[in-house]
Amino acid sequence: MSRQDCRILSARFGRPDGHRLAVYQAAGGYQALRLVLAGMKPDEVIEVVKESGLRGRGGAGFPTGAKWSFVPKTADQVYFFVNADESEPGTFKDRYLLDYDPHQTIEGTIISAFAVRANLAFIYVRGEFGWLVDRVQRAVDEAYAAGFLGRNILGSGYDLEMIVHKGAGAYICGEETGLINSVTGTKGQPSIKPPFPAVSGFLGKPTIVNNVETVAAVPWIMLNGAAAYRGFGTEKSPGTKLWSVSGPVRRQGVYEVPLGLPFREFFRDDLGGMRDGEELKACIVGGSSVPVLTAEEILSCTLDYESLQQAGTMLGSGGMIIIPQSADMVELLKVLMHFYWDESCGQCTPCREGTGWLHRVTSKLLKGEAVAEDLALLERICDGMAGLTICPLADAAVMPVRSFLKRFRGEFAARIHETAAAGSPTRWARGE
Amino acid sequence: MATLTIDGQLITVPDGTRLFDACREARGEDLPHFCYHPDLSVAGVCRLCQVEIEGLPKLTIACNTTVRDGMVVQTRSKRVQQAVQQILEMHLINHPVDCPICDQAGECGLQDQYMAYGLYESEVAKADKVRKAKVQVIGPQVILDQERCVLCTRCVRFCDEVTGTRELGIFNRGDRAEIGVAPGRRLDNNYSLNTVDICPVGALTSRDFRFQKRVWLLRATPTICPGCATGCNLRADHEGGRIYRLVPRRNDEVNGPWACDLGRLSYKDIHAESRLAVALARGEGGLESRGWQEARAELFGLLKPGGVAFALADPRQSLEELVLFKRLGLRLAGEAQLAGGIAGEGMAESDGILLAADRRPNRQALRWLELPEIAPARLAETLRGARGTLLVFGGDPFAHAEIAAAAGRLRVVYLGTHLNATARAAQLVVPLAAWAEKDALWVNGRGRIQRGQRAVAAPGAAREDWRVLADLLDHLGDSLDLPGLAAVRRLVAQELGLADLDVLNRLPVGGLQPELPAKAPTQGE
Repeated sequence: MSRQDCRILSARFGRPDGHRLAVYQAAGGYQALRLVLAGMKPDEVIEVVKESGLRGRGGAGFPTGAKWSFVPKTADQVYFFVNADESEPGTFKDRYLLDYDPHQTIEGTIISAFAVRANLAFIYVRGEFGWLVDRVQRAVDEAYAAGFLGRNILGSGYDLEMIVHKGAGAYICGEETGLINSVTGTKGQPSIKPPFPAVSGFLGKPTIVNNVETVAAVPWIMLNGAAAYRGFGTEKSPGTKLWSVSGPVRRQGVYEVPLGLPFREFFRDDLGGMRDGEELKACIVGGSSVPVLTAEEILSCTLDYESLQQAGTMLGSGGMIIIPQSADMVELLKVLMHFYWDESCGQCTPCREGTGWLHRVTSKLLKGEAVAEDLALLERICDGMAGLTICPLADAAVMPVRSFLKRFRGEFAARIHETAAAGSPTRWARGE
Repeated sequence: MATLTIDGQLITVPDGTRLFDACREARGEDLPHFCYHPDLSVAGVCRLCQVEIEGLPKLTIACNTTVRDGMVVQTRSKRVQQAVQQILEMHLINHPVDCPICDQAGECGLQDQYMAYGLYESEVAKADKVRKAKVQVIGPQVILDQERCVLCTRCVRFCDEVTGTRELGIFNRGDRAEIGVAPGRRLDNNYSLNTVDICPVGALTSRDFRFQKRVWLLRATPTICPGCATGCNLRADHEGGRIYRLVPRRNDEVNGPWACDLGRLSYKDIHAESRLAVALARGEGGLESRGWQEARAELFGLLKPGGVAFALADPRQSLEELVLFKRLGLRLAGEAQLAGGIAGEGMAESDGILLAADRRPNRQALRWLELPEIAPARLAETLRGARGTLLVFGGDPFAHAEIAAAAGRLRVVYLGTHLNATARAAQLVVPLAAWAEKDALWVNGRGRIQRGQRAVAAPGAAREDWRVLADLLDHLGDSLDLPGLAAVRRLVAQELGLADLDVLNRLPVGGLQPELPAKAPTQGE
């Protein structure tokens, strides 16, 4: 199979006027919706998606069909949210999906909403994606005009309203309960779980939140069948995955490849390797929140959930950050810590105080003001954050710290200010 | 019922119990916590009540967990202890540690938890701490210190959920997050001091109590609020004969854990300059002080059966006092010349939370004792042509000009606490103990008898009311043999028709709502 044949989600990327309904329909768009509404029951859609093995592409990789089946069958009102608050550093695939082919996501959303019996769907677009909001809104307007949204869609008796909601620019609103709160009009911060949104979410009703890439895969799966989807990828990681690649490789960008592809092959054939004069040092493979791998480690991985997990990292969002030898790992970590400090919502104490503390200590390291114990201190701060908060933002900050220190400790140790240990005025508490 | 194992101990609790509460029961003490409050929604943000539940890979917060049958929980394992210590450290890294000047010191969650779980050396240099605003006046009663705040959100939830006034919110995010007042608003509701109580640290302090007294010097006495017919259970914190603050005492049948600001500031009256500390009698130059023996003789002289034109009590007097006064009034003035208070006095609007429309603590007792209230106009009319003595027990009827004018020919005997209009017009003034200076029973609007204890001594020569009344009755030949309060309360029980005459001497902490014989129906508030 050629690489071109693997393009399910990105098949229409780059096509002139690909964001227009007419172009999408000419390429077979909304056929899946017709098929589903013509004769399938919601539970049958869920079954097909379960069989396909589709997993959430937002970062956690939770099986999509299983998530849908958590919605209580007795629910009188269900809401469906598409999470387009793409703000994980290094990730820009959802932007491409909505920019080049918004109708694919809209069609996927309608089918997904039908599967969970929702009559109101939101597409929550990251606030910074201003132009994208307009593009998605125009596509939604087109879908309404064509009868794919609204009352009695395609004569099926199924109603669905769709609202495009623009976020105000907060990383934490990409967390599903934070996203729901943001739409509700309360402070954009995660809610305590349980209850989980599938049971009690938006306005206290069952709510499903799926990533753009996840719902975008649904039309293809419905048209071609679960088995065809499983034709791509590995047994446990079926299908294709978008990778948004940044860093000094020859060809950066968004790539769709089948899961299970060896990184070495992807790196060489698709990315064209490193630019002249650069050498691969490390790779953050799934967005800034997953542990960094050394060049050696990543080169022996295949790009799927299991292999990456075995290597000590996660597939995450597929935001692949290629790090060259010339990069300063201390500076890179400090930049990341600034991000998490800035974006922590501040409700859980370990995250609120911990992200600030990590940022202060990494800043000191960068400025050459840190002492030897500060490396151990960083690890201890991480221990006080990991797994102890409402949402995973604290874990997201901890994973880079731990992995950077574990794999590149030498670079950090080299930044210790030797004389600071002797009598720095900032060490007052130790009585030194 | 669910049976679970907590720290190796089997415990059975009702289904649906919060694990936090089950742990308290099993441990005999609370899990460490700042944000959890049994009367507010669960926020789950302080992260301190972490426990280890068998079968779950991560630690779990107990406040947001419901017990399951067969659950095996560890609250003191090494893993839990370590997590709690680390989280506590997070709470403290940006804390100013200004305990020496903080009113919360001595009753501070941070101090308590640090002594239990902390005891480590600080890793954060003073210069590295996040600085925030201090001494922000956010309302008439409350001052906010942002640096001390641990962002537990209790105060925000209180204003959202209990008062519904929503003045407070959390602004900004991350370690810049702060509690604040919504734009253009102040924390100005009648329950704002409760936010000071539930603040686990010294972030919210009472403007009234601020810098008045170190809390460990205070002694606590259970009292009942005199402010309205709700009868909120209060704790009077006092030292050296002075009350420094009133804080609510939990009584789920009455006030839950709250009390209103009006009630909590009612102690100020007790230490007012107008308090009567000596007996006063009218001499040539107006009111002059008298020793007790002298005053007593004068009192006996003024109060003779048939010589008393009217006897008027007040629904701010206690149940025992009203029972004795009724006896006295019947003897001295007769049923037609006896009233329990001025009709319509102290009626305002209820706030729908705790503050009742009836701002008198004991009007229900008047109903029980069938002591009618009299309208000012009618009282004035009755007094206008009368001769002899007007006996006033509490209140200030002369604040009504028409009563004062109509009583011009009468000799007024005033038994009371403050030098008010009635006292100023009196022939004889006997100083009495105020509500927190005596052990007394109060009947709230729902017919619950509650006992307030004596927190501080009455000033100077002021006497406990029941002793003055019993002395008078004794002098008038009503041989009741009342050697102490217990005997008075037996008399009250008898008067109310209660089967067990000692029931009022064994009142439960939360009070008692007795079934009264049909002749004295309990009315609504």
